[in-house]
This record gives sequence, structure tokens and C-alpha cells, in this order.
Amino acid sequence: MKKQIRKYSPLIPVYAAYLFLFLIGRNLPGMWQLVAMLLFYCALGQAFNIFLGMTGYVDFGYVAFMGVGTYGMALAITRLANVEGLATAIIVIGFVLALFMSTMLSIAVGAVALRLRGAYFAIATIGVNEGFRFLIEGAKIWNGSEGIIFTAQLNQILGREAASALSIFWADVMVLVLAALAAFVTLFYMRSKIGYALTALREDEDAAKVMGINVTKYKIIAFITSACFAGLLGASSWALKTPYVFPPEVFEIHYTIEAIIIVLLGGAGTLLGPVAGGLIYGISKYYLSVFLPGIQLLIFAPIIIVIIVLFPEGVVGMLKSRLKDSTLARFLI
Amino acid sequence: MSLLKLDHVTKRFGGLVAVDRVSLGIRPGEFIGIVGPNGSGKTTLFNVISGVYFPEEGKVFFEDLDITNLPPYKRAPLGIGRTFQIPRPFSSATVRENIAVGAMFGSMSHETSVDDSLEIADRTIERIGLQDHRDKAAGTLTPVEKKLMEIGRALAMKPKLLLMDEAMAGMHPNDIDQMVAFIKRIAEEEKIAVVSMVEHIMRAVVGMAERVIVLHQGRKIVDAPTKEALENPKVVEVYLGHSRKG
Amino acid sequence: MVLEQLAGNLVQGVVLGSVYGMATMGLSLIFGVLRVVNVGHGAFMMVGAFIALWFFNFLGINPVIAILAAFVIGMGLGFLFYYTAMSRLIKAPELATLLATFAMGVLLQEIVKLIFGSEFRGYNWAVGKISLGITVLPNTKLLACVGSGVIAILLYLWVNKTRAGSAMRSVVEDSEGARVCGVNVGGVYALSFALGIGLTVASGVLLTMFIPVGINPYMGGGYTLKAFVIAVLGGLASPYGAFFGGLVFGIIENGSYTLFALMEGVEPFALTRFLSFVILLAILLIRPTGLLGGK
Repeated sequence: MKKQIRKYSPLIPVYAAYLFLFLIGRNLPGMWQLVAMLLFYCALGQAFNIFLGMTGYVDFGYVAFMGVGTYGMALAITRLANVEGLATAIIVIGFVLALFMSTMLSIAVGAVALRLRGAYFAIATIGVNEGFRFLIEGAKIWNGSEGIIFTAQLNQILGREAASALSIFWADVMVLVLAALAAFVTLFYMRSKIGYALTALREDEDAAKVMGINVTKYKIIAFITSACFAGLLGASSWALKTPYVFPPEVFEIHYTIEAIIIVLLGGAGTLLGPVAGGLIYGISKYYLSVFLPGIQLLIFAPIIIVIIVLFPEGVVGMLKSRLKDSTLARFLI
Repeated sequence: MSLLKLDHVTKRFGGLVAVDRVSLGIRPGEFIGIVGPNGSGKTTLFNVISGVYFPEEGKVFFEDLDITNLPPYKRAPLGIGRTFQIPRPFSSATVRENIAVGAMFGSMSHETSVDDSLEIADRTIERIGLQDHRDKAAGTLTPVEKKLMEIGRALAMKPKLLLMDEAMAGMHPNDIDQMVAFIKRIAEEEKIAVVSMVEHIMRAVVGMAERVIVLHQGRKIVDAPTKEALENPKVVEVYLGHSRKG
Repeated sequence: MVLEQLAGNLVQGVVLGSVYGMATMGLSLIFGVLRVVNVGHGAFMMVGAFIALWFFNFLGINPVIAILAAFVIGMGLGFLFYYTAMSRLIKAPELATLLATFAMGVLLQEIVKLIFGSEFRGYNWAVGKISLGITVLPNTKLLACVGSGVIAILLYLWVNKTRAGSAMRSVVEDSEGARVCGVNVGGVYALSFALGIGLTVASGVLLTMFIPVGINPYMGGGYTLKAFVIAVLGGLASPYGAFFGGLVFGIIENGSYTLFALMEGVEPFALTRFLSFVILLAILLIRPTGLLGGK
């Protein structure tokens, strides 16, 4: 039992950070919004890191999974709103549907794209968010480009007050839970054969194959896991906070860019990295938007280039090498 | 019972025939050298055996199982291990983790958990003498250390057949002798058949191999015990024009 | 009558495709020589579009001259990006160059947005049209088509008839071998990257001659996807393959749009964009080296 605890001890700083954020948000007036945003970015980073960080492959269409998750929740709410006696269970069903849809989409995309190597994979994914968005708009699925507005149904299901509490508090708590869960899954993978296989294939895919690793299988595992978290994130942070969904908004490549920034900044492939990245990016963005609105990407784009060229391991990666022999090393995974 | 059997294997690349109807057999625990100058088809043959290429004609059998078209990751659990001429470590992982990967996905993968693998890695590290580097990132090792680790990683897979690709190339003769003695010892202890591929019949092969197979332009021209092969006029002819110690 | 329509459609597709093809040549050149996928491709085209816009609306200079200026500016940008970032990433894992070019694209978008704002703009260069019997073509489109062809030919001549071009070809064949023979491989990389970017930016001008409206900092994204479809169609490493891939794609896109417009209950513009994505995946699955060969 003690060994198990030691194995998972790297989660301590992660959870401590999340708890700290939560407490600040609850107790300092006016901070909840910022905290909610930071938690979102941490969750986004943890989820994206499971694929980008652990496999070294870039999925440029990542936001599609968030979009699909949002639709899942929206559809559950609108289709089941008038069914008697379901009430809050509908929200749960919404999450299940979001999970199901993002899994399906990731299997569909993965089946094609994951057979391809590095650059070809990136090319294949570059149009996923576009492709899916234009499928919805073009074939007029789920109301096509008009999107779905479900404020009324949400109020109907939960009652006005509860619905409001959901959008300003409980949805963000869900995001916190997701961030914590994603961190746990990341560490779980890292400590298991999955993690070793992913490290091997990230470093040298051909050598990994010869060592007996079924690289496609492990890529798929990481891909689907990462996609599922994205779907749940979309369902909670998007659908439940702002009860409408429009294709151009939920398939906006902007979020993929942010996910990339967060993971690279913090340290791809590390446990603590996305937390560090999420906090740094979130806080910078928040204060930038106060003093110099609209230019955060302008500032972060060259920063990404600098990181790639000069600090590819990110903040946590660098700390890892500096503090290699100290007692803290245990936590800097 | 043969461990590995190649039956008239032919591999073509466009119009070029890299391996031309090669047949050979290897028994468990045997020590073979595959020798031939550049372009003789050795590397292609190796790649066919390890599954990187699939032959156009012919069959490959491992313990009587037809593995001709089996992907490489399925051959490792059967007991086929391989090292590369230029070592390919997983650079950001530690030596211990690198070798553990071998144990995790090799022939004993079903019964080997992550913790078991790490233990096996520790024992292997002791045997190959890399204890001081156990927790260092593999990318920071010297070339010789990397070669050792590469062999350790392959050994951790508990292979029945070890394919060694020019493992001694570029090494100091003393180091080669040591390495040869080391591999011989381990292979005898673990009953591993070793196929060592080299460009010339160097001290590495002479010290280790009981039998030598010589390739020339994709075809097998000699398959005989080492001493005989060294004296074979065909072999001498093939190497005429190529310098060296034999 | 139907045949006439079809033929007219085909011509429109070819004309459109020639511009698409030319726009993709830069992408294929950069991949062919440096093995780098320029994920920010569309953003560079956008820069060209804005150059055309600015030259026409503010300087009163017509787009044909703008093509030249765009090419030069593009090469400048290419050299800049190469020497500041790309040159240090030659040995880095693939991921690094993908993300770096992506970030460059984002950076360009934001800079353009800062200077010009994010509204949609356009210009109107009315120089009449020409009737080809089966269809009518605005002269701007005709010029764009001809321009694309000319540039493609010039590139061919450069690659095959100049010393720099043969140095480039030697690097594509075998970079180590070329280095040993005294070729300045780093210089070839820089030149090829700059050339590729120059071509891409110039193609942005040609694009506006086709579609002189809707110019905005974020227009690049859709074209990045199209460029990749075309590049993969024609063989990722071959600029000429890209050109012909463009022709094929132009025909398919034009044809499918017309087809979708005739169908009930679908939105043709969006569905056509979806179709291009499907084509991309199909080719990557079936023949990633491209339908038209090329390494």
C-alpha cells in the first residue's frame, strides 16, 4: 500500500495547486472568474498533453473533440428536456453522450490518421476541425450553421436558479474535477506499460516496433483518452456555462493553439507541465487583456517559437534537469 | 528443430534484387556470422528476418511458425531480438527505463509487470556493468556505453535469437575481444542463438561464430564452419579488392 | 447544351486549379528540399493577398506588379524566418518544425490584424472579361491563370537550368553527398525556404485576382487545408506534381460546388470544403506518396 502511495505522490503538487486555486476563488471576492479560466486552461493542457506530450504527435484538429462534446451535451438537453422525471439526470446523460461522441470521432479520425507518421499525421488532422464543422454546416446536421440554443430547456430541466448556479459555479467545479482526473490518468499511464511504450515510440518509432511495441495501438490509446477529456471539457466548460453552440465558435482553431502554447510552455510530456503552462498562460492572458487587449496571440506566437528553438523542454522540463538530484525530483515528473 | 529457417527468400526493390533466393537454417544456441561486403544484401536480409521488410518470394519460419509477413512488433514476443549498428537508445529515458522496455515487450511480456521489468533491468545492468549509469539519460552515454546498453536492452527481452547488426563496427580491438567474450558467455548461459552481421570476417566473427554464411550480391555463396569458410577460395575472391584482416 | 455546361465548368475548374496549383508549389518545394511541412502556409498566402490589397487601394498599383513585389517580400520573410528559427531546427524532431511553422503563421495573422484590423476587405480591378464560347471569364481570372503558368515554367527553368537549381537538386537527392561535394547545403536550405515562401506569398496576389473580396487576416486557414490536399494529391515533395494536383483539385472543387448547389437541403460552400477534407484523408490512406508520383 505504501508503495502505491509513493507511486502516485507526484500528484500531490498538482492537486495542491488545484485546491489552492479553488480556495482562492471561493474566498477572495471577484476572483472566481479568473480561477475558472485558469482551471480551464490547466484541464485543457492536461488533456492535450496526454497525446501531444506523450506521443510527440501534434493533432491540429484537437478542438473538434471539444466541439463534439459540446454538441453532445446540447443534444441531450434539447432532446430530453420534455421527458418526464429525468431532471438532473439529463446532465449526466449529456456527459455520457459527449463522451460517446468524442470517442466515436476520435476512433474515426484515429483509424485514418494514426497509421500515418509524424508530419503526415499533422496534415491529416489539420482539417479535422474544419472538416467536421463544414460537415455540420454543409449537411445541415443538428441545425447546421444556425447552431443550437438551449437556455430555455436548461432552465426547464433544472429550474432557473439551479441553471444559473450551474453556469457560474458548478460547471467550473466539473472542470476542476476533469483537470484532476486527467492528471491522475496521465500519471497512471506514465507508470504503466502504456507510458513506457509511448516514450519509446516518441523517441524512436522504428526501434520501438522492433522491441515489440505495437505503436499504433498505443497511439490510439493516447489519442482516444485525450479526445475524451476534450469532449467532457467541451460539455462542461462550454455547454453548461454558455447554453448555446454555434459551429464556427466551437470548432475555432484558436483553442488548439492555446492548448499547444500551454503544453509547450509548461513542458510537454511532464505531469506538472500543463499546470505550470496553464497558470502562466492564463494569468498572462488575463492581465494582457486588461492592459493590452486583443494581442495575446501576437505576444505568444513568437514565444512559442522561442520555446521551440531555445527551451524545448518547457518550464517543468528545465526544472527537472536542474533539480535532478534533489528531494523535489520525485515530484517533478 | 530449427530455430530460424529461411526458404528461398527474395527481396526486390523495384528492379534491384537485394536478396536472391537465400535459404538458411539456424539451430537453437548456434552462433552464426553473416558476412559480406557492402551491397551484398546483409542488411536487407536482417530486415526481412526482423520484419522491417516482407519478401516478395520465399518464406521465413521461426520455430516452425510462418512469420514471413508478421509485423516487427509481433516478432519480438516470439523471441527475436535485434540491435542496430548505430545504437538507437530512447534518449530521454534512463538506462534503467530503456532496458526495462526490453523486458516489458519482449518474449516474457505477458508475465512481466512494470515493476518486474525494472528488476530485470537492474539485474541486466549489473551483468553488463553499467551500474554507474543506471539513472542517467540514455542520450548522455558514450558510444560504447550506448552499444552495451543496446545489447542489454535486447537481452532483457529474453530472446531466443539475437540479431546483432555490425555491433562491433568502429570499436577498438581490445573492446571487441571483451565484448565477444561477454556475448559468448551470456549467449551460452541463456541459450540464445546469435546471428552477428559484419562486413568482413573480422576478429569478432572468428572469435564467436561456429559457422559463417557469406553473401555476395544478394546470393549465398558459402555456408560453412568458420575455419573452412576462411580458407574457401570463393570467399577470398569476393574480398579481393577489399582491404583487410581476415 | 449539358455538354457545353460541363465543358464550361471544366474550363473554370482548370483556371481556378492553376492558381491553386501555383499556390501549392512553394509548400512542395519546402518539403521536398528541407523535409519541413509549412503548417503556416495559408498565412503566407494571406500576406500576399494583403500586399495586393494595399498596392491597389493605397498605391494604385495593379496586381500584376504586386506579384513581383509580393515575391520579393516573401523571399525576404523566408530568409528572415529561416535564419532566426528554421536553421536551428534542422536536427530537431519533426514536431518542432511543425509547431514552429504553425506559430509563424499565427504570428503573421496577428501582425496583419494589428496593422489592418480584422474586417473583411476587397478591391475591384475591373478590366473586363473574355468570352471563350462555352463560358465567360473575367480577365483578372485569365491573367491569374496565365500568371500561374508563367511562374511554374520559370520555376522549372530555374531548377533545371541554373547552377543554384542543380545545387538544390543535389541536396534533395543526397544532402550528405552534396555537402561532401562542396555544396553549401545550409545556403541551399535557406534559398529553397525563401523561394518557397516567396512563391507562396506571390500566390496570394494571384488568389485575389480570382477572389478579390473577403480578404482578412484569418483567411489563410482554409487555404492551408486546400494546399495540403493538393500537395498530397500531387506528391508532397514535387512542385510540378503540386501544380497538376492543383488543376485536378480545381476541377473537382468547381464541379462539386456546382453539383451541391443543385441538391436540396445542403449548403454547397460548406459541403465542398468538407469534400476537400475527405479527399485528403482518402489519398493519405490509399497513396500517401501522391496520385501523380513524386517522391
